[in-house]
Amino acid sequence: MCAMRLTGYADLFGVNPGKTIKFYVNCDGPSAYDVQIVKMIHGDTNPRGPGHIEEAVDAACNGSKPGRKQVIYSGSYGYVEDNPNLQVQSFTVQCWIWPTTPKTHPQYWKHGTQGLVAKWCNDQGFGLFINEEGCAELRINGERITTGAPLRDHAWHFLAASYDAETGEATLYHEPQLRYALDPEIPPVTKTVSGGVSHQADVPLTLACYTGGMDDSLQAKASRPEGIVMAGPYNGKIDSPRLCNRALSRQEIETMKLGAQPGLTERRNSGPTGELSQCIVGAWDFSDGIDTIVGRDHGPYLYDFQIVNCPTRAMTGHNFSGHNFDWKHAPKEYGAIHFHDDDVDDARWDVDFEWEVPADQKSAFYAAKLTTPEGDEDYIPFWVVPEVGKATAKIAYMVPTISYMAYANEHLANNAGGAELLVYRVPIMQDQNMFLSEHREYGGSIYDTHTDGSGLCLSSRLRPILSIRPKYDHFLSQAPWQYPADLHMIYWLETMGYDYDVITDEDVTYDGVARLEQYNVVITGSHPEHNTGPQLDALHNYTQRGGRLMYMGADAWYWVHSYHPAYDHLGRGIVTEMRRCESGIRTWRADPGEYYHQGTGELGGMWRYRGRYLHSVAGTGMSSEGFDISSYYSRTPESNDPRVAWAFEGIEYDEKLGNFGLVGGGAAGTELDIVDTMLGSPPHTLVVATSAGRHTEAYLLVMEDFGFNQQGLDGTQHPRVRSDIAYHETPNGGGCFAFSSIAFCGSLPWNNCDNNISKLVGNVLNRFMVDGPLPEPPADAYQHRGRADYDPPANKAAK
Amino acid sequence: MITIPKKGTPERERLIAEHKACIETMKGVPGCTILRCETPGDTTVVTGGIHEDFLLNRVLLRMRAMNPADGPRKLVVICTKVEKEWRIGRLSGVRGVPPTFVNDKVYDNEQDPQHDIFLMRLDEMDAEDGQAEQFHEGWKRRDDNWTRT
Repeated sequence: MCAMRLTGYADLFGVNPGKTIKFYVNCDGPSAYDVQIVKMIHGDTNPRGPGHIEEAVDAACNGSKPGRKQVIYSGSYGYVEDNPNLQVQSFTVQCWIWPTTPKTHPQYWKHGTQGLVAKWCNDQGFGLFINEEGCAELRINGERITTGAPLRDHAWHFLAASYDAETGEATLYHEPQLRYALDPEIPPVTKTVSGGVSHQADVPLTLACYTGGMDDSLQAKASRPEGIVMAGPYNGKIDSPRLCNRALSRQEIETMKLGAQPGLTERRNSGPTGELSQCIVGAWDFSDGIDTIVGRDHGPYLYDFQIVNCPTRAMTGHNFSGHNFDWKHAPKEYGAIHFHDDDVDDARWDVDFEWEVPADQKSAFYAAKLTTPEGDEDYIPFWVVPEVGKATAKIAYMVPTISYMAYANEHLANNAGGAELLVYRVPIMQDQNMFLSEHREYGGSIYDTHTDGSGLCLSSRLRPILSIRPKYDHFLSQAPWQYPADLHMIYWLETMGYDYDVITDEDVTYDGVARLEQYNVVITGSHPEHNTGPQLDALHNYTQRGGRLMYMGADAWYWVHSYHPAYDHLGRGIVTEMRRCESGIRTWRADPGEYYHQGTGELGGMWRYRGRYLHSVAGTGMSSEGFDISSYYSRTPESNDPRVAWAFEGIEYDEKLGNFGLVGGGAAGTELDIVDTMLGSPPHTLVVATSAGRHTEAYLLVMEDFGFNQQGLDGTQHPRVRSDIAYHETPNGGGCFAFSSIAFCGSLPWNNCDNNISKLVGNVLNRFMVDGPLPEPPADAYQHRGRADYDPPANKAAK
Repeated sequence: MITIPKKGTPERERLIAEHKACIETMKGVPGCTILRCETPGDTTVVTGGIHEDFLLNRVLLRMRAMNPADGPRKLVVICTKVEKEWRIGRLSGVRGVPPTFVNDKVYDNEQDPQHDIFLMRLDEMDAEDGQAEQFHEGWKRRDDNWTRT
């Protein structure tokens, strides 16, 4: 149907002036394409706004480039390169598995046999598989031996296969961990296979796949090890694989479950005897190195699996006891890796062009615009970011790149029925959605489930991310979302003539407050929902030291993220991780015991449940969401408080604030934040405007704000379904202004930026950007305030 | 559970007329809901529709909650030229298999397909959709409609 023939990505999100950024392009069809570096001003095509705006930038890399197709090789797996010890004649191979899609739909994108542990290619070699019918299968060369018993999905099974080359006896065991009353018995299957195992040179030992072939195809080029195409991607967990070089008895197999016990003495370890241990080729323990991309071998040869495409680790194993939820405290219960056929950590494409950014290039939003004469088009966004200590403005715009990664290539509009209930209309898909619905190898977002239905909790930026694009309306809002929505603010800054620098979540995470303290004011994106701990620490330190924060959106500071340390060698912030734990708005829910990050070992989920309330960062926190249409604000009496009245200069008290806009048609919409001093808003926070009572039934209270289901939670009924624009002072002349709605910035460009939202934001920015501390509040503003306690209006009236 | 009004009933005609009236006033709004804008294209004051017609509200919820992998598969709007052309497609229900267009009709605005999909669903949905008579084994499997992304 719709085809995007141009896609691409860069090696960096943020590039310093004077440094080089590399671009990788897939040009599937056209023989050439044109490159033009552009400065991005506005990305919303809505005819009621200013439309798409970009400025051409002189760059050495501009011009025609030869086109070539590049493909992504998704699906996670492990491999050990071929060596003589792996070329066994007799063998026993065994492992625990928890398959999620043992049998797939014939139309499923990777339908067919799945490899578990194999050294097999083109009818040579051996291995354990799941066949197309969903049954365990032993392959010895061209022979296929199966129990004929389908594997139950989402259940642990112990599989083992032994083969004695001298007698030709091959046996396959399939032992479900749990047998229900009416489950038929699955006896071992034995067959005679003569001739031993033949081995093809260079075929690796593979985990969660098998070797499909060796060639110089595009897939093979992007694969690891390069030149070898893996086939039969497996969906599910694998735990404790073992390989021995002789046929073990069932009793010996049982003992071998305990794995290698190196250095066995009277005082330490138990397991296979010294004699039995001599047959071990490999005995892998995936509980070791959970924060790495290596599957450690505790056997004598240290044949570690190299893990490709970042499967999910810190996953409960077959022996999970349910007593400990932190893998760091019970690692032996976390020996499973969950592989998915759509995992991708790096597209691993070849570089197509580079740009050495001039030393005097202004910090801003940029993109490499790719076009063909036939009308193909794609943009590869990036940001020019000053080095620490070389700020060029008083204002910094903090690009929420972690949130962009969390939403990267989301598929909710494709197949999620729930999406329609959420948006209260039929979703609208665009080219990007259509492309992604077919090209699952581009990987999903942290909002998606994997193709096997399990939660997706890792996202890489080294792949084309089609949701970070201008001219892209998101199904949630039927308008720009994240990147193109953040350009509403950029357009306003440009139009109003402000000088600003651009920094990213990466910069703040890695550089801390040094990134922020160079600026008088930091402006956030419209939806900075996903954050690392170091980033929140930096924001806290900044506002406490007199920094000023303009929080331009809603549903921020919500989810715990961490960058996976195993990818540090490729640059900053390559892979981000998040777990959707027991509360919060969750498109999937982590399974019990799988709440801790594999990369850093920290507890995932909402910052709220780590004692870091959303409202404590900028004054407001998420209370509700709805995606049909937006509404507007009314000022409250607190807006007349001299502490904040300056923000409303030029705005009448009775004006409808933001009853216009490019997201939902109003400034208060999609996701909404409120003040709650019980959830971290400072007690001196002023609510200066609110949208209470103005929202539709589509807007619902967030689930973390109520304990049991009940009627009355929607925008037509519940008092917490609203957005509060709020202000509070921070120590040392700092302050936070929270605008508390994702749709808010969509009102800024309205009427060529001549409107009351633009006026309000301008008043705040003009005050926040000046050098030195903010003016002192009036003396009577200093008073003791409770958190839960306050003086209700009725009391005040009685006095 | 409320049944889906059958063809020829006055309830059905009322729902169709109200839905159409709402959609007409939503043209120009960067978003959409089944409510009437007092000023077309302006969400300052919205009335009617799902807030005032209980049956319309419930029928729409039932349509939205249809399982994407069961039955006739869910209908979606597909923008084929940005800000210019839209068509109606149907989800496959299978991951990695993209939606397909249901017909050749091309819309010049993003709101009209919403109404046509409403009409198509009224025709496609059984009156007893989701009720005991339609039990099948799939009801025993966890499926909260979010999992099929």
